[in-house]
Amino acid sequence: MEEEFETDFWKDAERRKMWDDIVPGEFRKTIPYVLTLEAIQRYCRAVGEDHPLYFDESYARTTRYNGLIAPPSIHILLMFACTPVDDWMRSPGTINAGQSWSYNVPARPSDTISLQARALDKFIKKARLFVVHDNVFFNQHGQVICSGRGWTIRPM
Amino acid sequence: MKQAFDELEVGQAIEGPRFAVTRVTIREFCEASLDYNPLHLDDEFMQGRFGKTEFGGVIMHGMTNFGLITRMLTDWLYPRGGVHRRLETRWLNPVRPGDSIQPRGVVTAKQATAKGRWVTLHIEVCNQRGEQVARGEAMAEFPMA
Repeated sequence: MEEEFETDFWKDAERRKMWDDIVPGEFRKTIPYVLTLEAIQRYCRAVGEDHPLYFDESYARTTRYNGLIAPPSIHILLMFACTPVDDWMRSPGTINAGQSWSYNVPARPSDTISLQARALDKFIKKARLFVVHDNVFFNQHGQVICSGRGWTIRPM
Repeated sequence: MKQAFDELEVGQAIEGPRFAVTRVTIREFCEASLDYNPLHLDDEFMQGRFGKTEFGGVIMHGMTNFGLITRMLTDWLYPRGGVHRRLETRWLNPVRPGDSIQPRGVVTAKQATAKGRWVTLHIEVCNQRGEQVARGEAMAEFPMA
């Protein structure tokens, strides 16, 4: 899946909803994603995470987690992994203004992750176009991994 | 875990490692997060205006702050038997290549509920000039068993 990921965010820009098109309450298209150990560890290295819970299986088995897990903030990767190329979160110039996340069970290597996501609100403040989005990530057992809300400033 | 919770005091401070931001670390975060927004890669694009805001060059992903705060919290919580349960942040200032940033937290409250023991922390990330680039609040649980 990762090899197929489109890294040119301009390519499908015309297909994405602008602020005017986004309907609060409307669900976004999402796609399931198999979270690999390689992807977890690549993310860890990018933010300096070196805890053995993410790297050392024998250590991780001795903990309450009974195996390797992903750090809670892995939803940063999952947000883009679980959404298609025409998702408006990819629009060039999208500015992240803040986020709030709650964590339930950890994501693990080989989990198949699914996402329920929608715009929740949109408003104009100080001449900026805001959209509030909410998101819930689940594992293959239907357990909530984490749920969160974000505020983005949309490109004009 | 009860002992670890009982020993915590309001006002107790924690801090994470300082993180040096470069174009390489930003690119690595693109690859790790799959967030290839040109805000983080394209200097020419970043010469434009974003409403009233002008950045003048590429900026770090705001969510890198989020990852660094999470690392600080979990590195503090895991050995104490605590579980990271919530993080809310706002980005206050852009972070650019050449900056270095460091997360800090302060315990602001302890709360026992019917089935849990909870700690709330004030969180901030500051750059090398002492300017806040992110601010927020976190919650951790110290399970009963």
